[in-house]
Amino acid sequence: MRVLILLAALVAVATSTETFVGHQVLRIVPTTHEELQKVQELQDLEDLQLDFWLGPRGPGHPVDVRVPLPSLQPLKVHLESNGISYSVMIKDVQALVDREKKEMLRTRRWLPLSTSTFNYDSYHNLAEIYDFIDLLVAENPNLVSKLEIGRSTEDRPLYVLKFSKGGTNRPAIWIDTGIHSREWVTQASGVWFAKKIVSDHEQDEGLASILNEMDIFLEIVTNPDGFAFTHTQNRMWRKTRSRHSSSTCIGVDPNRNWDAGFGGTGSSSNPCSETYRGPYANSEPEVRAIVDFVKNHGNIKAFISIHSYSQLLLYPYGYTSTPAPDHQELHQISEQAAAALASLYGTDFEYGSIYSTIYPASGSTVDWTYNQGIKYSFTFELRDTGRYGFLLPASQIVPTAQETWLALKVIMQHARDHPY
Amino acid sequence: MYSLLKKNREGGGELSPGSPAAAGAARVALHHLNFQAGSPGALRALGQVRKATLKSIPDSGHKYYLQFTTEDYRTGENAGSCLATVLYPKTKSPPVVNIKCTDTKDQKQIQEEDNRLYQKIRSQTKPIIGNNIPDSYGNIEPALEPAWALAVAGSSYMMWEKSAENLGYFMAQVKSAKQWIRKDDFIEFDYTVLLHEIPTQEIVSCHMRLTWLPGHALKVKYFCSSENQRLEDGSGMESGSAAGILDERGANF
Repeated sequence: MRVLILLAALVAVATSTETFVGHQVLRIVPTTHEELQKVQELQDLEDLQLDFWLGPRGPGHPVDVRVPLPSLQPLKVHLESNGISYSVMIKDVQALVDREKKEMLRTRRWLPLSTSTFNYDSYHNLAEIYDFIDLLVAENPNLVSKLEIGRSTEDRPLYVLKFSKGGTNRPAIWIDTGIHSREWVTQASGVWFAKKIVSDHEQDEGLASILNEMDIFLEIVTNPDGFAFTHTQNRMWRKTRSRHSSSTCIGVDPNRNWDAGFGGTGSSSNPCSETYRGPYANSEPEVRAIVDFVKNHGNIKAFISIHSYSQLLLYPYGYTSTPAPDHQELHQISEQAAAALASLYGTDFEYGSIYSTIYPASGSTVDWTYNQGIKYSFTFELRDTGRYGFLLPASQIVPTAQETWLALKVIMQHARDHPY
Repeated sequence: MYSLLKKNREGGGELSPGSPAAAGAARVALHHLNFQAGSPGALRALGQVRKATLKSIPDSGHKYYLQFTTEDYRTGENAGSCLATVLYPKTKSPPVVNIKCTDTKDQKQIQEEDNRLYQKIRSQTKPIIGNNIPDSYGNIEPALEPAWALAVAGSSYMMWEKSAENLGYFMAQVKSAKQWIRKDDFIEFDYTVLLHEIPTQEIVSCHMRLTWLPGHALKVKYFCSSENQRLEDGSGMESGSAAGILDERGANF
């Protein structure tokens, strides 16, 4: 039945001429052969424009028919005068069609027409996020552009959004989400950040002043192969989808594949391990693409890589317990950022170096960026602390993104105010 | 963990309450509590660690002394605070836990909640069967909530037993839940549970069979994918042992 309604709606949309205002769907149940015949005769009355959804089959079998408004009264009179019983199944077909269309616009499978109708409080798949990116760029051509910085192992494009008010190679801030594909709240937050930048870039003083001097680069789906895999095969997939050795195991941990303490403790040489570092640093195209981008750009001043879960704000190092030269300043910034984050919903973040706050980890992203000279290098672990873990309810996407944004602004503002 | 121990020359010392070692030990203590209490209606999650001390005990292992707050696992509401010791033995055996907590709920409330969950399961006309709880989007169907709560309680046993000083666990997802109807009053479930292992980041798949009746010890048998077979009875205590107000002056930490 729904299929028929859908078809009708699609036909209406396609032809744009037909509407079903006031149309009703009647269910007629002929009980005798006489009545059946009377109903069958109706099929020949073309002027009535009756649309039989369930044709006459035999006595006792229901007959469903869509009746245009002008034919309603005559048909009902005809049925009643012949003693043929009927009931009204659908009182107004157009109302139903309208409701259905609205519903389809709301549900995930239907592509939104603008970033204003995009559903920020639900999880999306890769196609939907890539569509969102294109919509965002189309709506804000003066602020946003899309860069392809490389391709994944499975040849998916790696897209970075550039938010810029002009200038040439301005000092920049980099933010990435989704490097570990199962950490879904991060890609979802990335989408929200993108929209937030566009919405706020004029009215929010802090953001406006940041963009007056700096560019923001945002890679929302940093590991698209893994992300696609979490949607189709294994929700708990973390790594990339590369195959390096003769091992049957697939994937490298992209957060152990960077050239900083590569191969040390806190990463594995076993291809089947979730923290497999890969055969060599930058073996993963997803990592290589960022490395090349950062080196070619040459003017990135803050680098923030976003993960979940644990509620932590981390700075280098992970590959050694030796404090980073700038650890005091980074600690101070972290304190401020965590306070800003907590100010919204009371969400508590611990902060400190990767090594001492979470665990030793070698070859991690921000250790490499820090050693490249990007002083303000941070890693976030977003909500929660283990109750839902990777399966964070969608209702927490927006609150998570909102509070994290406050922390990001602290870091970005600090970078703006402390050029180096 | 290693760096913290190197710093403590006498084999003991205060830990930063925010440190991963302290949090890990507190979680182990809570796994133990959640299993022993056997109340799916009174499960606790870690709030904040307030104080943590580490002592190295020669020929025994590392012993953590902890003070922390807890939250209701489902609602996140404050659920009282706990004092606990967690000894990670040198030998490959489960952590030894001593834990005492204050309660924000009284025993009657806890029993009522357990009975409510129990009745919710018993009143189903068909055996409860479900997959992916929560689902990929974090949703838990209301009809499956009792099964999920029982899984958390049962998984606490597995996670406690498997934990070590440098190995911790979270329950990532109930992959499948299948109820077995029994002739007696006990509730029985077969589960496949995914555990998230830290710091390895591995997802460990465990098969767990659980029986429960309010007021009785939770019984768990399990087998995890990369493990030797473990068949353990949960020798849970009578309910109510965790109740009571604590005199902190006597605690001597």
